[in-house]
Amino acid sequence: MRFSFSWLKHYLATELSVQEIAEKLTAVGLEVEHIEDPLEKFKNFKLVQIKNAQKHPEADQLKVCVVVDMNGNENNIVCGAANAREGLKTVLAMPGAVIPKTGELLRKRKIRGIVSEGMMCSCEELAIPDKQIGIIEIHPSVELSASVAEALGCGDEIFDVSITPNRGDCFSLKGIARDLAATGAGKFIVADETPCKPSFPFSLNIKYKNSESIRGYAPLIAFRTIHGIKNGESPKWLTSFLKLAGMNSISSIVDLSNFWMMDSGRPTHIYDLNKIKGSFHIRFANVRETFTDIKGVEHKLLPDMLVAADDESPLCLMGVMGGKKTACNSETTDILIESALFNRIFISRAGALLNLTSDSRTRFERGIDLTSCVSGLEGLTRLILENCGGEASEVRLVGESPFDNERRVFLRKSKLQKIGGRSQDWDSVKNILQKLGLREYESNASGSLFCVPSWRADLNIEEDLVEEVLRIAGYEGIPAESIDMSALGRDKLLKRKRRIVEAKRLLASRGLSEVVTYSFTSQRYADAFENEKKNIHLMNPISVDLGVMRPSLLPALLQSATRLLSRGSASVGLFECGNIFYNSCEQKTNIAGVRLGMVSARSWAEKMRQADVFDVKGDVLAVLDHYDVDDRSLSTEPFAPCYYHPSRSGTIVSGKKKLGYFGELHPKICKLFDISGKIVCFEVMVDQLPSQKVKASFDGGKVFPKINRDFAFLFSAKTAIGNIIDAIYQLDPLIKKAIVFDYFDMNASQKSIGISVMLDAETRTLEEEEAQVVSQKIIQYVEGVGGELRKK
Amino acid sequence: MSELSKLQASCLFEIEDCDNLKKLEMLRSAIFGKDGRLSGAMKELRNLSDEQKRRHGSEVNELKSLLIERLDEKFRKLEIEELDRKLASEAMDVSMPPRPERFGKLHPLTIVEEEVSDILSSYGFFFADGPDIEEEYFNFTALNMPDHHPARTMHDTFYIHNLANENGRKLLRTHTSPVQIHAMLAHGAPCRFFSIGRVYRSDYDATHTPMFNQIEGLMIDERVGFPHLKWIISDFLRKFFEVKNLRIRFRPSFFPFTEPSAEVDMNYEIKNGRMAFGVGEKWLEVCGCGVVHPNVLKSGNVDNDKYQGVAFGFGLERLTSLKYGIPDLRGYFEADEAWLNVFGFSHYAR
Repeated sequence: MRFSFSWLKHYLATELSVQEIAEKLTAVGLEVEHIEDPLEKFKNFKLVQIKNAQKHPEADQLKVCVVVDMNGNENNIVCGAANAREGLKTVLAMPGAVIPKTGELLRKRKIRGIVSEGMMCSCEELAIPDKQIGIIEIHPSVELSASVAEALGCGDEIFDVSITPNRGDCFSLKGIARDLAATGAGKFIVADETPCKPSFPFSLNIKYKNSESIRGYAPLIAFRTIHGIKNGESPKWLTSFLKLAGMNSISSIVDLSNFWMMDSGRPTHIYDLNKIKGSFHIRFANVRETFTDIKGVEHKLLPDMLVAADDESPLCLMGVMGGKKTACNSETTDILIESALFNRIFISRAGALLNLTSDSRTRFERGIDLTSCVSGLEGLTRLILENCGGEASEVRLVGESPFDNERRVFLRKSKLQKIGGRSQDWDSVKNILQKLGLREYESNASGSLFCVPSWRADLNIEEDLVEEVLRIAGYEGIPAESIDMSALGRDKLLKRKRRIVEAKRLLASRGLSEVVTYSFTSQRYADAFENEKKNIHLMNPISVDLGVMRPSLLPALLQSATRLLSRGSASVGLFECGNIFYNSCEQKTNIAGVRLGMVSARSWAEKMRQADVFDVKGDVLAVLDHYDVDDRSLSTEPFAPCYYHPSRSGTIVSGKKKLGYFGELHPKICKLFDISGKIVCFEVMVDQLPSQKVKASFDGGKVFPKINRDFAFLFSAKTAIGNIIDAIYQLDPLIKKAIVFDYFDMNASQKSIGISVMLDAETRTLEEEEAQVVSQKIIQYVEGVGGELRKK
Repeated sequence: MSELSKLQASCLFEIEDCDNLKKLEMLRSAIFGKDGRLSGAMKELRNLSDEQKRRHGSEVNELKSLLIERLDEKFRKLEIEELDRKLASEAMDVSMPPRPERFGKLHPLTIVEEEVSDILSSYGFFFADGPDIEEEYFNFTALNMPDHHPARTMHDTFYIHNLANENGRKLLRTHTSPVQIHAMLAHGAPCRFFSIGRVYRSDYDATHTPMFNQIEGLMIDERVGFPHLKWIISDFLRKFFEVKNLRIRFRPSFFPFTEPSAEVDMNYEIKNGRMAFGVGEKWLEVCGCGVVHPNVLKSGNVDNDKYQGVAFGFGLERLTSLKYGIPDLRGYFEADEAWLNVFGFSHYAR
């Protein structure tokens, strides 16, 4: 909320400076986001009078003026404005001034050979909304000693305060002043609330069906008509207040209504009485009824929205926005004022459904003073009669006030101490609450029962009162107290989280960079990665490209890869760790990565190599190894989800658990992402991995000689060598390691595989004969599965 | 000059003159070999009288020792020279660049998540987790935001298509606070928890992304209140930003799930175009916190007469941006290599 200091002073008698008020506001929870200080804004500007104006010797369009200020100092100014004439009082920007319109720093400069010691400004250059042409013309009666801001009618400091949604009462100067007064910033000024004398009875036929549903929506409405007003331009004080508050002046009636809302917190609606056809109905909207708002926008109403209507059509979406049909203009002479209580839930709902925001809705949905229906109406009437003339009718009330019982909240001394951490002098506690409008109803040794004022809808429980006391006394006075940290224990989930970070470090050490991408992706991509499971769709995505929860981490990684390639990267290595989503909201943690292009950089020392399936298989196995998955329990199955290349991909399984996928990306997916070239990727299902390291025993590290045996076998080209290796491990407990050290294709149907096996008895020296036996076992096994030992 | 003197002079000369190991080896044979020159002199001894043998013999033996000594010396010298020559011939251009190694970068959020976890776990806070896809009840109602609560509209929520149960519609959590409820229900009071995770709001402009990360903290005990909250947050910020004299300001604010509520600012000033913390008079908001609302304790099945709680939240990206000077929120999720090269961390960074 924006307002000027002088407006605040209507409600607060204070000696404090702008800065001190701002500090108080922030300290009580009314955060000052910004103070606009005109002295700061118009630093290096001054009022001057043009002493004489001569034509510039070098340019017909320019004049050379001598100007004089309040102290008689003279300056030479080159000026192009047509209205620069002798005797004119205007605003001069001196070197060092910042021109509001452009933000530029003004310097002395030569214009066509003559030095100009400043610049005379137009309204536009000072960012003042005025239609004057040329340099500003200050009224001749204004003394040169006046400040520029005063002369321009914006001499007031402006506060821009952010109001939290619980403080409906502070969407008004009155409410803000009341909080400030409670802190001791000044004295709260109670406004004159004497009712206006009615001149005639209220005669409009109001149709208000006192049904439960209407009462629930709008329990109480006060009306009054005023006849014979003049709705012209607003008086200067009013436009000035509104301008500083950031509102445009429309007409005096509308301006007064807006002013009163800001001033007192009471929203009202004003109808042009002569535009109402027939009776005035308060009813729910009809099915498929439309309503044209004050800006001319048409809305489709729903049957649970309350409208004010005449015999023909809706005039106002009550509490949210007025209509075009009965808008006041300069011809308006007679008006109807409505001042109502609305149920905040319904107002919030209606506004949200139609996506309509207004100052009225903001106040109603945050809670207004429940007793302000009539008093608010009287206040506005008084303003209108004073400023627009006319005669007021009697007040007509429909419905009834549902708020006969005051809310009462008990505050225990012990609760205040338990939350605030120190005992407080009870008299000062009561003093704070009383200044905020609470009344002590009764008290005993443990505390007091307080009545909550009608404007504080947010005070309902003991804790609410505790907050009031603490915030007005100041949070800075609460002492800090350390917590006991002796009770530390084992945090399994944190360990798990750290393990993931270690896996990330591992992958980074393998040349992959970590990225973080959105959890949602496009329908197109999600569909391509939907793998036997249903995708989850958002009802209201921010864009179609982010409409489906990602079923895999790969789409975003591939998108990133595409982008990097298009920017000229020759090779890409990326990974992400995050959740994937499918079916009815299952979510699993995955790590996925993509590699494309060269594995290493170009160099004299090594041959470059394209990333291939075995790089990503290595990535998967590295992660599994970090998680202490026993590699003897693992096997590679030659299949993977549909987005992988059907014969160049695999799944790492342990028993029945699928731990990871790897392989080349299916060419159709490459096409979808516009990637040319071979891209390999992997996914690790982190939730399937063991959560804890298994502690192994260590026997003191006695080492016995091991025996290595190398074999060269011929296999059919279709044999899965990974399975052969897995099987060899199972042949004998002496076999501790079996690696493929050589591989080449003999021809289309046969491949040669070199396998090296390490034998170790671990607790004793291995005998040559034992090694011989194991070697025979291996050869027999291989021959049993169709392989043969190569003859040298 | 006797024969022996001549032999000595010629042998010593030849040893001195020899310039490689092979020749020196041959020279050794020529002197000491079976038919070598010294052997000749030894043989001649046989023909002499005992008296002459004794005198001449000792001369020959002296000569023998001298020659052995000189030869060994020469061997050592030539060996060193030979090695020097060999090594000189093995010269490499060590100014060449080494073999390239390629390491990836870690995302800054990963590093900051660790930094935050380290500090909070040192306070005895345990890590807790909750789902990204939440139920309306846990995201709003249980946190004291009943239907049509104005704060509910402030959270521009993503809803899941066609999914609802008795706990309301399914949605993407708009904050990490639902974890408070899950943690209380699972572990009861007293407890200390923190959580870090993704949250979602339907907001997209220069300063908002539809997804970001929050840090959540909750402590429930019989005697915990605002003073403890003040200590935890002040200590955390000073440790995290590594500024001992960081000034911290608590100012009243509003959150539906805490009462009283506060926002926390820390002081800073702009130095050479960068933010410096713990100096200056400007304030920067970094945290929302408060004393847990009794309705929230009730949702968590915690006896709100016996127990009281404090809770706090930070934006992970905000803390990261402030600590490491990262200017734009969007860069976090754009997977840009250039961005990672500047703001990413090496895999061994702590």
